[in-house]
Formats: sequence, structure tokens, C-alpha cells
Amino acid sequence: MVTGDLLILCAAGMLVSAFLMVGQKALVTAIRLYGLQSLLLGIVAAVIAMSERHHELLVTAAITVVLKALLIPWFLTRTIDRIGIRREVEPFLNVPTSLLICVGLTVVGYRVSTGFPEGAHGVSHHLIGVALSMLLIGLFLMVSRKKAITQIVALLTIENAVFLVAVGVTPGMPLVVEFGIAFDVIVAVLVLGVLVHRIVDRFESMDVSRLSKLKG
Amino acid sequence: MSVNLGQLAAVAVPAAVLIRLVTVAAAIVLGRRGAAARTIALTGSIVASVMTIAAAVHVLGGGGAVAGVLLHHAASGAVLTFSMTPLSAWFVMVFGVIAIPITVYSASYFPHAIPPARMAAVSAAFNVMLGAVEVVFVAADVLTFVFAWELMTLATAMLVASGHEERGNRRAGYLYLVMSHVGTGCLLAAFLILAAAAGSLSLPSLLAGHLVAGYTRTAVFLLFLVGFGVKAGLIPFHVWLPEAHPAAPSSISALMSAVLITAGLYGLVRVCAFGLGTPDVIWGVAFMGLGALSAILGVLYALTQGDLKRLLAYSTIENSGIVVLGLGAAMLALAYGRGGIATVAIAASLAHVLNHAAFKGLLFLGAGSVVMQTGTRRVEQFGGLLRRMPWTGSLFLVGALAIAGLPPLNGFVSEWLTFQALLLGFGATPGFVRLIHPLSAALLALTTALAAACFVRVAGICFLALPRSEAAAAAGEVPAAMWIPQAALALLCVALGLMPGVVLSALGAIVTSLPGLQPVPLVMWGSTGIASPARTFDHLVPATFAVALLAAVTVGALAARRRAVVRRVPAWGCGGVLSAQTQYTATAFSKPLLMIFRAVYRPTREVEALADVSPYYPQEVRYRSVIEPTFERYVYSPVLRAVLRVANGMKALQAGSLHAYLAYVLALGVLLLLWLGGSK
Amino acid sequence: MPMLPEVVRQGSFAVAQTVLLLAAAPLLKTAIKKMKARLQNRQGPPLLQGYYDLAKLFAKEPVRAETASWVFAAGPRVYFGAVIAATTLVPVLVPAAPLEAAGGILLLVGMLALARFALATAALDTGSAFGGMGASRDMTIAALAEPALMLGLFTSALAAGSLNMGGLVRSVLQRGLVLYPSDLLAFAGLFIIVIAETGRIPVDNPATHLELTMIHEAMVLEYAGPDLALVEWGSAVKELLYLTLLVDLFLPLGMAADAAPAALLTGLLAWALKVFLLAVGVTITETTNAKLRLFRVPELVSVSLGLAFLALAIRFL
Repeated sequence: MVTGDLLILCAAGMLVSAFLMVGQKALVTAIRLYGLQSLLLGIVAAVIAMSERHHELLVTAAITVVLKALLIPWFLTRTIDRIGIRREVEPFLNVPTSLLICVGLTVVGYRVSTGFPEGAHGVSHHLIGVALSMLLIGLFLMVSRKKAITQIVALLTIENAVFLVAVGVTPGMPLVVEFGIAFDVIVAVLVLGVLVHRIVDRFESMDVSRLSKLKG
Repeated sequence: MSVNLGQLAAVAVPAAVLIRLVTVAAAIVLGRRGAAARTIALTGSIVASVMTIAAAVHVLGGGGAVAGVLLHHAASGAVLTFSMTPLSAWFVMVFGVIAIPITVYSASYFPHAIPPARMAAVSAAFNVMLGAVEVVFVAADVLTFVFAWELMTLATAMLVASGHEERGNRRAGYLYLVMSHVGTGCLLAAFLILAAAAGSLSLPSLLAGHLVAGYTRTAVFLLFLVGFGVKAGLIPFHVWLPEAHPAAPSSISALMSAVLITAGLYGLVRVCAFGLGTPDVIWGVAFMGLGALSAILGVLYALTQGDLKRLLAYSTIENSGIVVLGLGAAMLALAYGRGGIATVAIAASLAHVLNHAAFKGLLFLGAGSVVMQTGTRRVEQFGGLLRRMPWTGSLFLVGALAIAGLPPLNGFVSEWLTFQALLLGFGATPGFVRLIHPLSAALLALTTALAAACFVRVAGICFLALPRSEAAAAAGEVPAAMWIPQAALALLCVALGLMPGVVLSALGAIVTSLPGLQPVPLVMWGSTGIASPARTFDHLVPATFAVALLAAVTVGALAARRRAVVRRVPAWGCGGVLSAQTQYTATAFSKPLLMIFRAVYRPTREVEALADVSPYYPQEVRYRSVIEPTFERYVYSPVLRAVLRVANGMKALQAGSLHAYLAYVLALGVLLLLWLGGSK
Repeated sequence: MPMLPEVVRQGSFAVAQTVLLLAAAPLLKTAIKKMKARLQNRQGPPLLQGYYDLAKLFAKEPVRAETASWVFAAGPRVYFGAVIAATTLVPVLVPAAPLEAAGGILLLVGMLALARFALATAALDTGSAFGGMGASRDMTIAALAEPALMLGLFTSALAAGSLNMGGLVRSVLQRGLVLYPSDLLAFAGLFIIVIAETGRIPVDNPATHLELTMIHEAMVLEYAGPDLALVEWGSAVKELLYLTLLVDLFLPLGMAADAAPAALLTGLLAWALKVFLLAVGVTITETTNAKLRLFRVPELVSVSLGLAFLALAIRFL
């Protein structure tokens, strides 16, 4: 089916963007990749909406595109400009190793997706698989990177993954839940943005590994 | 008419709880107005106690168990039920009868002991504690029981630490909380194991016995023993008691010693003895051993205490041990199928619960008055208080007579019953196990005699002869509202001693409600006497004997009466002047026993002579004797050190690095997904 | 509720027995003193000296310390009363005690404990260190002696199947003169306890007033006149009571079977003879032993405890 193929293509694109986020070090590129990811997510939502006639999903898709593909990347880019940092510092693991780990996490994600009754085969299988893999990759990104901005982007990637699962598995999505998640994300980003400013003011660096001074 | 009484009784318990809640809320609302808050809270407490006593008397009088629902929360589906069985009724009655005089005492005592800013909070917590204990006794399902148990613990901890400016009080409250929670954890674990086996949370179904077998049953028994033993103050779980009881305000200490202990004892009786099926022989032996050990160690430590309230706290441990000793004898008898003997032993335990509550409450209230008037708790600073506080002193003497187990007061009656149980048990038990009975009897005799020595020491040093400090010399009698409750408790001691049958006949209803016990028709639960099941074994009619005693004392007094006036002269001071300094001290009084039992005490002694000009003319001699805190040092410290070592080892995990924590989450998440995910 | 004639009968029985013991006690005390003196090549007091002393003390003016309160006066009276009341619980001439329906061995021990408590508390009332010291030592020794006493009494009680003195004596009489080895052991153990409880050498010296050596005497040092008379009389009755107890437990032969005067006389003579023999035993023990240091007394008492426990084990295992 055309819609099925389109969905799988978009999902694959999202996964590729996650991989690319891991594979390169420029912060601006990471944010743009996030924007691309969110755009693909919006397309997925719109396609599902039209093929299964859940028209409320169109509204959701629109919100996703506007908010996550346009507004948030703009805000984060502005934050970076203000602070003046362009590159990520050396991560804990080098790029080839990280990519290998991401491949492993993708395998885990796909394996877990077979445990869902809906996700055993077909389009849902890929959607759930991709979503779970993105979730794990986002978490891994948080573990292996030091800059606070990257952590924010990783968090947002995880949120995208959750949304993908919800859209792909359940028929439709209550608008209230979507508003809730969106609000959640806005607040998180705003707070984190402010926090990043504060961290830099205080510690002269965005390196969160400096936080290890606070320990028991 | 009896139907109406039953319905009234069923309503009385929830109504009492409601009254307490309302008065607590009112007290909190009236936060600033301490006096009003106190009056409302304490009056509500008295009213609620009266109502629950009435319900308990109805149940004990043969009215059958009353049950009902305390709270039904529709949203969560939680239902708190209560059920007052005869056993619960006994404990509720004991509790209520003792709580009322203590509450009356508190009404006049709190203004002196508690700062006005805290008055409302303390009064509210007082009420909460009493209400929680009542609900513990009548709880009919695990949720109610554990909820009330926790509430009781928290309210008591708050009261213990209410004087939190002092480090000692804070530490006492903290220690109490920690140990109580360890106990509660064990209780919860045991209850949940039983609930899993029974498939329900209602206590009657959990405690029907024979739900679990083998190692599980032993594990459950041990968990309950620890859980309830902590609250009852059994050795080796007793370390919180000598710290917490003195730290609380005196009337709270009275409640704690008299009543809170009974919550633990109630659990031991209801669950360990009767809730897990017929007890094993080893359980009975273990209880007897722990009980005898607690009794003897409690009184030995009490003998050497210099702090009056701490002394009374150790004495509580001793009496708790005596109750558990009787309970162990009952369990042993039940293990061998001798229901009649078990009845006598249970009667001894329950009677001692009541008697202990009465005289310990009396003693603590007296101690509270003394401490309030002199401003110190140290026994070595008292003296001559009988002249200055005649009522308090005389009533304290009555309490001392009662706790020493002397006829014709109530301590003697429960001790008599315990001896009967032990002797009958000896005859009924086969094999070498029977030797535990005379051994326990000997230990019990030793304990009682040591308790008598301890209270001669306390009563003599505190109240007689010359004051040893200015504080004692300046003390005055407390207001009547404070010694009248003590008089009521003293009268109760005397009445229970002279007419034991009145109370013991109530035990008939309890006996029929507990499994394995046989009502013993030969035991004369008449109004004045008690007799042993075996026909010629022994009987006791204290009232007759009290008459004989009174007659004999009168004869002696008449023979010694002289028409001449008594001549008062200074006491012989070996040529010098008798002063407070040359009197015998409390430390000196217990020194012989300290030396004789030094294997238990392991005392260390330091003597320091400070001299100005020449060492042959010392200005000051300092003497310091320290008793080794055996349990703290050899049992608890190693455990604490091991726990801290493990915790320190785990500190390495807490690296402070955000990435490390996230890595933990990722790793755990992946592991869980791999384990739980995938197609089935 | 017993009928009034029954009450009167029991009451007069109790009074008669009490009067008998009260009358005989000073004689026992003086007899022991006289025998001790004779063994030490002295004359000793006349046999009626005990009565003369009591009469003298009762006639004296009562003197009390300024620091003492009502407890000081109450002590001797409660002591005397408790000991006298306890005498109604032991059978003397007939195999029944007057108030045996009211209590048995446990009540007896409890009464004696009450007596001791009263005296010890009162001893602390004058503020003199002697009283405190005596009270402390006496309560210590009593505490150590309690378990041995209880074990010894329980052995006899369990063997006889009754804790009630009257019932115990009757069952021993029924059993007849059968001597168990456990009886000898129990008797030895209880004899030591009787020595300890009555304050005789080797535990305490009743004739000394040196502070290093007194125990009971230190407790009663401050009493004078009628108060002291009550204490002295009470101690004498207590001693007689303990000896009677030993007689009842181990050799209750010769007791009157009914209330006929001849039988009563026989019973009286038998009782007097047995008590006299025990008194001779006490005298010999006192004369041939030296007083033990206070911290050696626990060893002696533990010997007694061991004997009692051994008796129990032999009899029942």
C-alpha cells in the first residue's frame, strides 16, 4: 500500500536522523536534524489521519510541524547563538563505537516490538520498532554527550519516539493528551533553555559532567 | 434489651473514633489557644475512652463480638472494618481504664510541662495516639491494623520528640521511629505472606491458623515475633524503650509504658499464640526463654539506674517479660494439647497486663509529679519528699508495693497465677522440656525479689530521710487534680488485689473465644477468690487474708501503744552531725547487687581524687561507675556498622555524574526490555 | 459465704495458733542463745530472758529520729503484722492450717516478703547510713535466697501435689514415712535458706553491732522501745515459722489427728521436740562456722540452689 510504504519511509527517515545525530558533532546540525525528524513525524501523523479518517490527527500533525519542526529548533538555535558555542566537546565514546551501540539498540527495539500484539508484523511493526529504537538512542545520546543543549535535543527525540508509538499503535489520539504533551515539551524546553543560561553563567561552561562535584 | 445493647456497642466504637477525630481537628484549628485546645482534646479523649470501655464491658459480659465498618472509601474501594472480640475487649478495657486517670492528670500536668506554643499539637497527638491504639485492638483487616499501627507509631514519636530542643529527646524519637519501622516492616511482610496464602485481607481469615506450613510458618512466626516484640519491649529489641520513655512528658511516658506495650503484647497473643495454628513446642520454649530473659535483665538494669523514669522504663521491660513468660507457658501447654493449663497461663498473662498497666501508670504519674516539682530526674537528688509531697509519696509507696508483687495488692495475684501455670505445666509436659518450668519459676522468683529490692531503693531514696539537694528541699505538693488520678489508680491496685475474681471472671468469655483453650470449671472465678484447676493445688482469697493482716497489724500497734508522747531526737551520727551527705545513696544501695551480677553488668569504675595542696588532703573525690551497654555495644553496633559499610560501598554508585545515572537508566531499561519484551 | 459459727471457729483456731507461736518464739530464741553459750563454755542467759527483754522494751518510752516520717513507725507494725498473719498459713499441731483456704506457700512467701519490704523501707527513713546499708544487704541476700527457696518449696509441693500447706502436710502424712533421697537434698538446701533468711551465722551475725558485719541488725539499729520490741518479737516468730515450715515439709509426724486434748498435747510435744532438734542443728551450724564475707554469700546460696534443683531433677526425671 502506498500509505504503508510512505509511513515506513518516514519512519526510516526518522531513524536515520537519530543515527546522524549520534554521528556528528556540530550542535546546529543536531538541531536541524531534530527539526527534520519532527517534520517527518508530522507527515506520518497526517498520512495516518487521512488514510484512517481520524481527522483530529490532522490538527495534531499541524501542531507538531509548527511547534517541533519550526518553533523549537528556532528557539534552540537562538540559544546557541546567544551562548556562542558551535561544537560539542569530545563525547565519552568515539563516533564509530557510538554508532555500533546504536545499531545494537535498534536491534533491541525491533525485538521488543515483536512482543506487541499489534506490532508483530506490518506497518505497525516498523513504526513501533523505529519508535523504540529512537527512544533508546535518545537515551544513549543523553548518556554519552556532555553539552546541555544536546541533552535537550535527546530529550525531545525521546518525546518524538513516544508520540510515534502512540500514533502508530492506537487509533487516533485524544487531543487533550496531545495538548498535554505539547505543553509539557514547551515548558521543558523553556525551562531547560533558561537553565542552560544559568548553568553557563555560573560554571562558565555547559559541560554537565562538572555537576559531578555535587555528590555524596 | 440485649439486642439494643449490642447495637449500641457496635455503634460505640466508630462513634468514639469520630469523637477523637473531631476533637483533634478542633484542637488543631484552635492552634494558638493552647488551653482551649487541650481541654477539648482531653475531654474528647475521656468521652471516647468511656464509650469504648462500655462496649468492651458489654462484649466481655457475654454479649458476643461486635463488628462493623469504620470507613468506606468509595473511590478507592478501601473498607476499614473493626471487630471487637473478647480478647480485643479485654485490651480495650485495660487501655481505657488506665487512660482515663492519665488523661485527667495530663489536663493539669501539660500546662507545667509543655510550652504553650506546642500545647495544641501535643494534645492533638495525645488523642491521635490513644485513638490509634484503640483501633489497633479492634482492627479486623490488615489495612486497618497497619494503618492504625503506623499512626500510633508516628503520634508517639511526635510526642517523644516534643521536647526537641534537647539532643537526647531528638535521638530518642529517632531511635524509636527507626526501630518501630523495622518492626512494622516485619509485620507487613508477615501479613502479606499470610494474605497471599489466604487470598483475602481480613484478619479473621488470615489468623485462622494452618494457612502456611513448614519453613514458611516458622518464618512468619519469627517476623511477627520481631514486629510485635519491638513494640512490647522484649529483649533484644528493647533498646529504644529506655531512651524513649524518659524523653516523653511524664503522663505520655505513663501511657507508653502502660498501654503502648500492650499493643505489642496483644499482637503476640492474638497472632503468635493463637493465629498460626497450634503452636510448636519450640515456640513455647522460645517465648518462655525470651520472657524470662527480659524479666531478669529488665530488673537488673532497673536496679542500677540513676534516672527515675529510665528505671521505670526498664521495669516495664521486666513486666513485659513476665507477660511473655506466661504466654510461653500457655503456648507450650497448647503444643501438648493441655487446654486447661493453657487457660491458667493465659489468665496469668492477661491479668498481668491489667495489673501492670495499673501500677505502672500510678508509678509514672508519681514520678511525673516528683520530676515536675523538683526539676530533675536524678534519683540521687531526691530525698525527704514524703514530708513535702505526702499524697504523691504515699501513693507512690502503694505503687511500689504493687510492683514488688506483695500481697494483698494486684501484683501478687498475677504473679501467683503465673506460678500456678508454671507448676501445673511442669506436671503436664513430658520429657526434658519440662525442666524449663521450674527454671522459669526460679527466675521469676528472683525477678520479683529483685524488683522488691529495686523499689525499696526507689521509694526509700526518693521519698524518705533528708533531701539531697535544694531542689528536693524546695519541692511542694502537686495540685489535687494531679494526685487524685493517682489515688484512683492506687485504689484500683488495691481492689484488684483484694477481689481478683471480679476481673478474672471476665476472662471466661475470652477463653471460649480462643482456639485450643478449655474453660476450666474447677477454677473458682468467684468474686473474691481464685483457685487452681487441680482440686487440692492452691487457692487464694486475698480479702480474707487482708483482714487477717489488718487484724495482726492492729494487734501490734495496740501492743506498742504507749500513753507517753514519742520523743524526737536527732538520729545517731557516730558522734558527728547527720546531714544529707552522709545518707546512703542509691548507687550504694544497689552496689552489692552490682558486684554480685557483674557478669551481666560489666561495670567499669573510675575514682579520682583532686587535691589542692597535698594528695593526702583531697578537696574533691570523683567516683564514676559505668555499666556496659551490652546490647548496644555487642548486638546493635555490629549490625549498624555492617549496614553503614554496605551503604558506603554503594556510595561509589552515586558518582554525582549525570551521565552515570542516565547510563544506569539506559542499561536497566535495555535489560528489562530484553527480558520482558519480545514475542511470547 | 461460710456460716458465722464457721467463721468464729476458724477465727478462734487462727488466734489460738498465733498466740501459741507468739508465746513460744522468745523461748526458741533464748534457747538457741543458751545452747550456743554452753557450747562456747559460757553460762548464757536464763531461758526466760527473751520474755524479760520484751517486757522491758514494751515498757520503755518510744524514741524516734527527727528525720523519720510515718513510714518509720509503720515499718515494725507491718513487719510484725505480716509475720503474725503468715503464721496462720502453716499447720502446727494439727495437719491443717487455720487460714489455709485463703492461701498457701506462695502467700506465705509473699507475706514474708512484705514484712521484709516494710522493714527495709523504714530503715531508710532516718537518714543514717546504717539503715541504708542494712536494707541494701538484706534485700540483696533475700533476692538471692528467693529462687532457692521457691525451688525447694516447689519440689515438696510437686511431690505432694499441693501448694497449700494443709494439703501438703496431709498428703505427706498419707504417704507415710517414706524417705526419698530427693527429700534429703531438698532439706539441706532449704536449711541453708532458713539460715540465710533468719540472719544466722554463716550469713549474718545476730549478736554483732559492728557495721562491717551487720545485716539485719543494721536495719533495725535505730529502733527503740516498743518499736524494737515489735521487731524483735517479729523476728523470733519468723524464725519459729521457718523451722515449723521445715518440720511440716519433711517430718510432719505426730500431728494431732483430732481436737482431743490428749492428741493436741501429743502434737504439741512432737512439734516442740522437732523444732528443738532443728534448733540444735542451727546452733551447731552457728558455732562451727565463721561468718562469710558478704560477697561469699551468693556462693552459699548457689549451693542451696543447686541442691534444690538436684532434688527436683532426681525426683521427677
